[in-house]
Amino acid sequence: MAERVLMNGNTALGEAAIRAGCDCYFGYPITPQNELTSYMATYMPPNGRVFVQAESELAAINMVYGASAAGKRAMTSSSSPGISLKQEGISTLAGAELPAVIVNVQRGGPGLGNIAPAQADYFQAVKGGGHGDYRQIVLAPDSVQEMHDLTFDAFDLADAYRGPVMILTDGRLGQMMEPFELRPAVTPGTDKPWAVTGAAERDPNLVRSLYLVVEELEQLNLRLQAKYREIESREVRVEERMTDDCDILLVAYGSSARACKGALNEARAKGYKVGLLRPLTLWPFPSARIRELAAKVKTIIVVEMSAGQFIEDVQLAAEFQTEVLLENRLGGFVPEQRDILKRVEGLSKC
Amino acid sequence: MTLTPHSRPPEALTEKPTHYCPGCGHGIAHKLIAEAVDKLDIRGRVIGTAPVGCSVLAYFYMNFDVVEAAHGRTPAVATGIKRAAPDKIVFAYQGDGDLAAIGTAETIHAANRGEHIAVFFINNAVYGMTGGQMAPTTMEGQRTSTSPDGRDVETMGPPIRMCELLNTLDRPYYIERVAIDGAAGVRKARKAVHTAMQCQVEGKGYCFVEILSPCPTYQRLSPVDALGFVGENMKSVFPTRVFRKNGEVVDA
Amino acid sequence: MLERVLIAGSGGQGILLIGRILARAGMLCVPHVTYFPAYGAEVRGGTSNCQIVLSDEEIHSPVPDQFEAMLILNQESAKRFLPRRSDTTRVVLNTSLCDVTDSDSLTTIPATDIANDLGEIRCANFVMMGAYLASSNCVPAEALEECIRMELAGKPPALIDLNIEALEIGLNHER
Repeated sequence: MAERVLMNGNTALGEAAIRAGCDCYFGYPITPQNELTSYMATYMPPNGRVFVQAESELAAINMVYGASAAGKRAMTSSSSPGISLKQEGISTLAGAELPAVIVNVQRGGPGLGNIAPAQADYFQAVKGGGHGDYRQIVLAPDSVQEMHDLTFDAFDLADAYRGPVMILTDGRLGQMMEPFELRPAVTPGTDKPWAVTGAAERDPNLVRSLYLVVEELEQLNLRLQAKYREIESREVRVEERMTDDCDILLVAYGSSARACKGALNEARAKGYKVGLLRPLTLWPFPSARIRELAAKVKTIIVVEMSAGQFIEDVQLAAEFQTEVLLENRLGGFVPEQRDILKRVEGLSKC
Repeated sequence: MTLTPHSRPPEALTEKPTHYCPGCGHGIAHKLIAEAVDKLDIRGRVIGTAPVGCSVLAYFYMNFDVVEAAHGRTPAVATGIKRAAPDKIVFAYQGDGDLAAIGTAETIHAANRGEHIAVFFINNAVYGMTGGQMAPTTMEGQRTSTSPDGRDVETMGPPIRMCELLNTLDRPYYIERVAIDGAAGVRKARKAVHTAMQCQVEGKGYCFVEILSPCPTYQRLSPVDALGFVGENMKSVFPTRVFRKNGEVVDA
Repeated sequence: MLERVLIAGSGGQGILLIGRILARAGMLCVPHVTYFPAYGAEVRGGTSNCQIVLSDEEIHSPVPDQFEAMLILNQESAKRFLPRRSDTTRVVLNTSLCDVTDSDSLTTIPATDIANDLGEIRCANFVMMGAYLASSNCVPAEALEECIRMELAGKPPALIDLNIEALEIGLNHER
């Protein structure tokens, strides 16, 4: 039986990275993800891995870029303001088609905001964030177990599709402790013929995102877009609860989804036909499934810790087949179970 | 023309003609690096990092693995490569905007950590790729497209001296400034580049070679006069000498 | 079973430590456990608190809006958190540092004085934990002792024994 341990989300994620074969971690302190950086500082070197505290988030993401170019599994983590600083590097990783795992333990914004949990970096994470036409796979855990499990998936997806993968979580999931089952360590494949490993017995490899010839850059973009379509067709992941017979569909991810799960149970106990769809992948987005459910349900309630960001993708997917309502908190508050329940009860009174 | 063995270009250079302007120092600097790579027999394990600037296309001319870095991030990328693959020989090739303006933090911290990389800093006192704007190393009074009346130190600060600045740190192993200002200057530059690369092969530590370099186009001079600008004007502000040797500060 | 516990006091009182130990002990005997600490700037300036939920059912929020129990170790925390207690919230109050308030379900214990008498003022948190365990049946004292040894592994055995002694004094304290 797998070993059951008690750790917080940040360290559970760090332990997963080590077990997933992360060779190099580069980071810069920022709350509320500091436990992760400290964990990597403590446990990477004794495991023969690389840890460097960089001089900035810019430097950290570019160290990731270098290590990844050299063919190694590399990761960085930060929180919202620091993730903004990394955007140049994430765009460059996407353009150069380098795998990397980036963890965003979100906090309140804009600007320096605060250190409380938030989901206000949704657009930045799923719509590109940096410059240029690129996408990154975005994974959204809602428990410490998933902070651990999805980290393994993040490294595999990054390697499989040669691009940046973001784990989009928040201060609550990073800070909270929960028992979870440790996954066994894996040995990732090392077949990366594109990596710069020295041109001893082959032609030189070149890692770049600059293509001054427009035909070449268009070709790169077409290749990237084809890859993104493939990801959209293969990698969508959701959790559904009681969606078979629901009239009211809650759609939420991460900490918001946890609150929804509580509200769902309470609402069902009171006889309301409520269901929940929780995307584990925010990009690719589960548009097809939401479209399907939108045709059946009376109302969709989108619960988010942002000012109507996540709801835009739900609305696009729902295609005006049903009403889509927003239930949200801002500035570092997590939606409360009772507020979601109240919203459900209010609907049924109409 | 038949090439004699003596004049054969280094194996570490490709045969592609460069895009550099007549009289530019980049081609010479590339060749010096390629010669060191050949001489040390490390073409199969050297990894270069190319900056943003005129030399962003350096990888088309270098016949070994190269990673292009975002503007100023070259030392961080080089750090990532070297930490991930310590058995490789890693160097950063950077211009003055890349190294001493947008990437100053990365430059200083890579040096302060004593990363085992060689940094080749091409200082031509002007931004070339973007069209002749003021560089952090532009000379006082020098006219550029963003200092049309000449660099005014009161509002723009004086040119920054990177060798002197880095020499205040504990960890660099070797720091030298050389100048491409004529045959003798190139010979000294060749030796400095070779030393920095040899130190990498020997695992000595962080090496920094600043190469004062002509840019006739944006120094607004003929190729010959640009060599004079480097040899006289620039050297009067940026003295060429060894600043650090075997990890020890060398007095002027 | 649902037991939502708030532990609050000042920095240096070992608030987060006993919270983690309670969570760890809960993990041994309750299906679902969460622990959530105050973090970052919230704990600067001397206050500290954490919240533990022990439940038979899946836990949705690690930051509950109601508590079955509160362990209050200093007056500042009493002022901040006691207004949030319900009629049924069991409160354990460190009377060495807090003004006594009226409550139906109040356990008062001079934990800091008791710890001082034991020769180690820093084990007041374990006295409090013992007093809490006496009023609760969700975690057996043996499990908690075991987790004290686990969490403090590597510390001097005398210190571990002292903490367990403090826990037992709390457990057996006349209310």
